Amino acid sequence: MISFLLIIVASLFFTGVIIRTKSFTSGRKGPGIFQPMKDVIRLFKKGAVYSKTTSFIFQIAPSIYFASIIMAILVIPFGQYKGIISFEGDFVFFAYILGTGKFFSIISALDTGSSFEGMGASREALFSMFAEPAFFILMGSFALLTGHTSFQEIFASLHFGSSISYVLGVLATTVLVMITLIENSRMPFDDPNTHLELTMVHEVMILDNSGFDLGMILYATNLKFAMYGALIANLFMGSAPLYFTIPIFLALQFIFAITIGFLESFTARFRMNHNAQYILALSSVSLLIFLGVLLVLGQFN
Amino acid sequence: MTNVLLIIFTISLLYLGIAHRLLTYIKILVFQGLLLFGIAFIELIKIDALNLAFVLLETIVFKAFFIPLFLNYVMKKNRITRDAEPFLPNFVSLILITIIIIATFILSNAIADSRISKIYFVVAISTLFTGLYIIVTRHKIITHVMGYLVIENGVFILSIAVGNEMPMLVNLGILLDIFASVFLLGIFVNKIGDVLKDVDVEQLKNLKD
Amino acid sequence: MTGLYLAGAFSIGALLFFNRKRLINYLLVIAFLILQIGFTIYEYHHINTIELHYFSADALGILLLVTLSIISIPAMYHSYVFMSKSDDNPRHRGIYFAAMVVLLTAISGAYLANHIAVTWIFIELTTLSSSALIYHRRNNRSLEGTWKYVFVCAISITLVFIGILFLSFTLQQAGTDDLSFAVLIKKAPELNLFWLRLAFIFIFTGLTAKLGLVPMYTAGIDAKDKAPSPAGALLSSVLMNMGFVGIFRFYTVIANSPIHNWANHVILIAALLSIFVATVYMTKVKNIKRMFAYSSIEHMGIVMLGLVAGGIGYYAAILHIILHAFVKSSLFFQMGQIYRIYKSKSIYDAGNYFKYNLTGSIVVLLGFFSATAMPPSGLFISEFLIFRSLFEANYLSVLIIVMLLLTIIIWAFGKNIFKLLFSPAVDFKEDDIEKINPVESISQFILLGLVVYLGLNPPAEFVTLIQEAIKNLPL
Repeated sequence: MISFLLIIVASLFFTGVIIRTKSFTSGRKGPGIFQPMKDVIRLFKKGAVYSKTTSFIFQIAPSIYFASIIMAILVIPFGQYKGIISFEGDFVFFAYILGTGKFFSIISALDTGSSFEGMGASREALFSMFAEPAFFILMGSFALLTGHTSFQEIFASLHFGSSISYVLGVLATTVLVMITLIENSRMPFDDPNTHLELTMVHEVMILDNSGFDLGMILYATNLKFAMYGALIANLFMGSAPLYFTIPIFLALQFIFAITIGFLESFTARFRMNHNAQYILALSSVSLLIFLGVLLVLGQFN
Repeated sequence: MTNVLLIIFTISLLYLGIAHRLLTYIKILVFQGLLLFGIAFIELIKIDALNLAFVLLETIVFKAFFIPLFLNYVMKKNRITRDAEPFLPNFVSLILITIIIIATFILSNAIADSRISKIYFVVAISTLFTGLYIIVTRHKIITHVMGYLVIENGVFILSIAVGNEMPMLVNLGILLDIFASVFLLGIFVNKIGDVLKDVDVEQLKNLKD
Repeated sequence: MTGLYLAGAFSIGALLFFNRKRLINYLLVIAFLILQIGFTIYEYHHINTIELHYFSADALGILLLVTLSIISIPAMYHSYVFMSKSDDNPRHRGIYFAAMVVLLTAISGAYLANHIAVTWIFIELTTLSSSALIYHRRNNRSLEGTWKYVFVCAISITLVFIGILFLSFTLQQAGTDDLSFAVLIKKAPELNLFWLRLAFIFIFTGLTAKLGLVPMYTAGIDAKDKAPSPAGALLSSVLMNMGFVGIFRFYTVIANSPIHNWANHVILIAALLSIFVATVYMTKVKNIKRMFAYSSIEHMGIVMLGLVAGGIGYYAAILHIILHAFVKSSLFFQMGQIYRIYKSKSIYDAGNYFKYNLTGSIVVLLGFFSATAMPPSGLFISEFLIFRSLFEANYLSVLIIVMLLLTIIIWAFGKNIFKLLFSPAVDFKEDDIEKINPVESISQFILLGLVVYLGLNPPAEFVTLIQEAIKNLPL
C-alpha cells in the first residue's frame, strides 16, 4: 500500500522537475513544478472528440492503457514491504501487463487510419521489442542471484558484497535508466518536443486523442516515470526502517528526474535507423550482467 | 577488481560492434589500452619491479598513446574518410559479437582446471574472435590494422593470466605487439597510402589465378 | 659458436644494408657464405650439445642446416645474376642482400632452437625479412603481395603465440615452467589434455602459414609469385622446412601424449584439403611461378600424410622434405632464366623453350620429372614409402583419393611444362632474345643430381641422422 501511495505522490512532481531542469539548463526559469498536473486536470474537464474513421478501440484504449499502468504499479514493492499484489514470478506479470497497455495504445494509433500514427506505432513496437529482452535478462539475473522470483523478495534479499556485485549494481541501474528512457519515449531515443511528425515516435501515436483520454494518457506517462524510478530506488533501499527509506525514496525520485532532465538537455536524439542497434546493445549489456551473475555465483553449468 | 575491468573491457567490445566512425574505433582502442594498464598493474604486482615497469610502460605508452596517435596520423595523411564501411549492417555485427561472447562462455564450461580464472579465458577468446570478425567484415584496409590491434589486446589479456608464473611470456607478447604493429603501420603509412588511391580492399584483388 | 654465428651474421646483414659499393657487397656475401658453411660443419661435429641455453643441434636441425647451406650458395649466385640483369640501384641491392642474410640466419636459428618461444621469435624475424625480399620490385602488385603476406603471417604468428600461452597452462599441472622441447617430451603424458588440444590447434594453424597447408597457405602463394626468383626459391624450400621443423617438434611432444590419434586426424584433414586445393588450382593456373608454388603445397600435404601414417612414413616424410627443398629451389632458379627470355610469367607467352635455351630446358624437363616424383628422382622413393606407410596404417581410402589427386596434378603440371618446352609461343618476337650462358644452369643440375643420389644411394650418415631425428616418435 505504501509503495502505491508514494509512487502517486512522486508522479505529481516528476515531469515538472524534468521540464524545470531542462529550462534551467537553457537559461530560462521555466513553468512551475506542478504545471503538468494542472494541464492534466484542465484536460480532465474537457470533452473528447472522436473521429468518424475510428472504432470503439480508439475510445476504450486510453482507459485500458491507464488501467494497465495502475495494475503494474500495484506490484512494485517498497523495501521490505510488499506491493498490494505480490506472488511468485510477478515481474513477468509486470512486464506483460505493461505490454498489454502498450499493445492497446498501438492498435488505437493504427485505428485512426493515419499513416503518421501507423509509422509511429511501428517504431514504438520495434523499440519495445528490443528493450524487452534487456528487462527480462536483468530481472532474471537478479532472480538467479537471490534465488527468489517475486519482486519484493528479490529486492529484500539483494545485498552488495564484493566489488563485482557493485559493478553489476551500477550496470543494472544504467540498464534500468535506459529502459525508462525507451519506454517513456524520451531522449536520446525520441524527442518529445519535436514538431515534425516524421521524427516522432510516441507523440505521433497520441496526436488524435483529446480531452479526458489525452489527460489520462499524459498522467499515465507521469505514472510510468515514477514507477520506473521506484524500481531503481528499490535497488538501493535494502531493509532500512521506514523513516529512512521514505525520504531516500523521494530523494532518489527527485535525483532521477533531474538526471533525466540533464540527459535530455545535453544529448541529441540518435539517428532513427541507428536507434534499433543502440537498444539492442542494451540487451547485450544486460546479457553481460547475466554472465557476471553467473561468475559471482561460481556456477558455470 | 580485475573482474570489473574485464567486464568493462567486454562492454567496449560490444561498442566496437556498433561504432560508425573510425575515430570511435581509435577511442575505443585507447580506452582498452587504459583498461589493460589497470589490469596489468593489479595482477602482475608480484613480478620483479623492472619487468613490471616495462610492461606498464608499454601498455600506457604504446597501446594508449603512440599507436592511436599513429593511426590518427595515417588517417590524416591518406585522407581516409570517416566512415568505417562495414559489409554487414552494425545491427548484425552487434548480434554476432553477442553470440561470440555467449559461445565463448559456453566453451569455457569445458575447462576443468580450477586454477585458471575462467573470466580471463572468456574475455581473451571473445576479444580474439571479435578482432577477427572486424578484420573480415570491413571494407577499408585501415580497419584491418585496427582489428589486428584488438586481437593483440586479447592476447595480452591471455598472457596476463599466466603472467605471474612466466613473465617472459608477457614480455614476448609485448614484443609481438610492438614489432608487428610498428611494422604493419609503417608499411601502411609509407607505401599503401601513396600507391593505392582509395584505401579499400577492393584494390587488393589483383593477385589471383 | 651459435652466439658468434648469430652476432656475425647480423652484423654482416647490417653492413650490407648500409654499404653501397659492389665489391664490398661481393666480399660481405662471400664472408657470410663461409660463415654459414663453417657453422654447419661445426654443428655437425657438435651434435646434441646445448649452447646459449636455448640452441641445440639435434639430428633434424643438422640435416636441414646442411640443406640450407647447400641451397644458399646458388641462391646468392643467382641473386647476383638477377641484380646484374635488372637495374642496379645500390640501395635496393643493399636491402635485398641484407634481407637475404637475415632470412637465412633466422631460419638457421629456428632450426637450432630447442625452446618453443625462441623458435617463435625466429619465425617472426623471417616474416620481417622475407617481406623486404618480396617488395624488391616495388610495383603495385608486389606491394599487394607484401601487404597480404605480412598481414597473414602476423595473424598466424599471433595464433602460434596463443598456442604457446595455452601450452604454458598445461605445464602448470605438470609442475614445471620450462617450455623447451626436451622437457615437454618428457612430461608429455602428464600434461593437461584440454589445454594441450587447444595449444595444438592454435600452433598448427599458425604454422601452416609458413609450412604451406590449409588454412593459411594463401599468403605464401602470392609471396612466392611476387618475390624475385632466387628469393622465391628460398621461400619455397628452406622456409617451408622451417615451418615443418616447428610442427614436427611439437608433434613429437603430442605423439607421446594421449591425444596422438586426435592430432593425427586434424593433420590428416589439413593435409588432404591442401592436396585437394593444390589440385584444383594447378588445373587452372596460368602463371608458371604460381604453379610451382601450388606444387609445393601439394608436396607439403604429402609430407604431412607421411607423418600421420607413421611407421616408415616418419622416415619418408623427412627424406621428402629434404629432397623437395632441392628440387623446388632448382625449379625456381631456372624460373629466373625463363623470365629473362620471355619477359613474362604467363604460360601463354612462353613456348618452344628448347629452341631458346637448351640447357635450361633440360633442367626444366628433369625438374618436372623430379617434382612429379617419377623415377629415378629421389622423390619417387620417398613418395612410394609414404604410400606404403598409408597402406600399412589402413588409410586405404585416403591413399586412393591422394593418388587420384596426384594423377590430376601430374597431368596439369605436365600440360603446362610441355607447352613451355615444345609448343610454339603465341605472339612471341624472336628478335632480341637474351642469350643465357649455360654456366648458369650448372647449379640446378647439381641440385637435381643430389636429389637422385640421396634417393637411390644415400650415404650411411644421412640415413642414421634421419633415423635419429625420428627416434622420439612412437612406433
